[in-house]
Amino acid sequence: MNSVGEACTDMKREYDQCFNRWFAEKFLKGDGSGDPCTDLFKRYQQCVQKAIKEKEIPIEGLEFMGRGKEKPESSS
Amino acid sequence: MKIWSSEHVFGHPWDTVIKAAMRKYPNPMNPGVVGVDVLERSVDGRGRLHSHRLLSTEWGLPSLVKAILGTSRTLTYIKEHSVVDPVEKKMELCSTNITLTNLVSVNERLVYTPHPENPEMTVLQQEAVITVKGLSLGSYLESLMANTISSNAKKDLGVSFVEVRGKRMDPRRLSSPGSWVEGSALVRQRLLMESRLPSSPAELMERAWMCGRKLLYKFKELLS
Repeated sequence: MNSVGEACTDMKREYDQCFNRWFAEKFLKGDGSGDPCTDLFKRYQQCVQKAIKEKEIPIEGLEFMGRGKEKPESSS
Repeated sequence: MKIWSSEHVFGHPWDTVIKAAMRKYPNPMNPGVVGVDVLERSVDGRGRLHSHRLLSTEWGLPSLVKAILGTSRTLTYIKEHSVVDPVEKKMELCSTNITLTNLVSVNERLVYTPHPENPEMTVLQQEAVITVKGLSLGSYLESLMANTISSNAKKDLGVSFVEVRGKRMDPRRLSSPGSWVEGSALVRQRLLMESRLPSSPAELMERAWMCGRKLLYKFKELLS
């Protein structure tokens, strides 16, 4: 499965592998403490946030399409 | 506005179903989802795992629908929030589209819980509210979309288990209740009695809608 940012796909897969292992072997068995994937997640996140900004994905609000693009109200 | 809901019984225990659900994509039988990213993940004070994810999808809308909507862009983005409670054995997932929102709104809610009669089985309740805005062919388009969601749901259910069990299984066996048709009716009755199913379309709409709308505020928070 790819990431929304092409450059982030490898980092995403590494993180996913780590998470899926922790999820199945620790979290679901009652041991939710400790997250061995934090560092991987941080690196992956930085990449994704950058991709979201570059692609202008409207995480913060709503994007309008068709019949004359309207700017969403910006509250920030 | 179109409301779609279904219950499905898996012949697998809750843990197995949840592991498969978390790894639902890629799904060769439902290639519409082309990208998945985790934006935030944490364990709350009650030991529940919260995940916020961004999904990019190609709707696979019929070309008639695309022509009516007036968009040639088919890549749409969806925000998803899931909560996994390993003690109560409940996973709840809500999603809403964040693009094309002036044209269509799709709010979905999924809840996975152990079968009330048999802990080796799992129940999935799935609800979707679809609203196409400002078009006279609105309800026709909504029906098309509901059919798409329904057939995608069936494909999702089948394949995720092929992966988890690590061996070739006929996905159709997994995705059709088969001898559990009676089981499904029984589950529905039981869930209704326990008020876990919405008792009216209005309540269903309220639940799925609230679920989706809350996501917008959370995501604003996350990225501010």
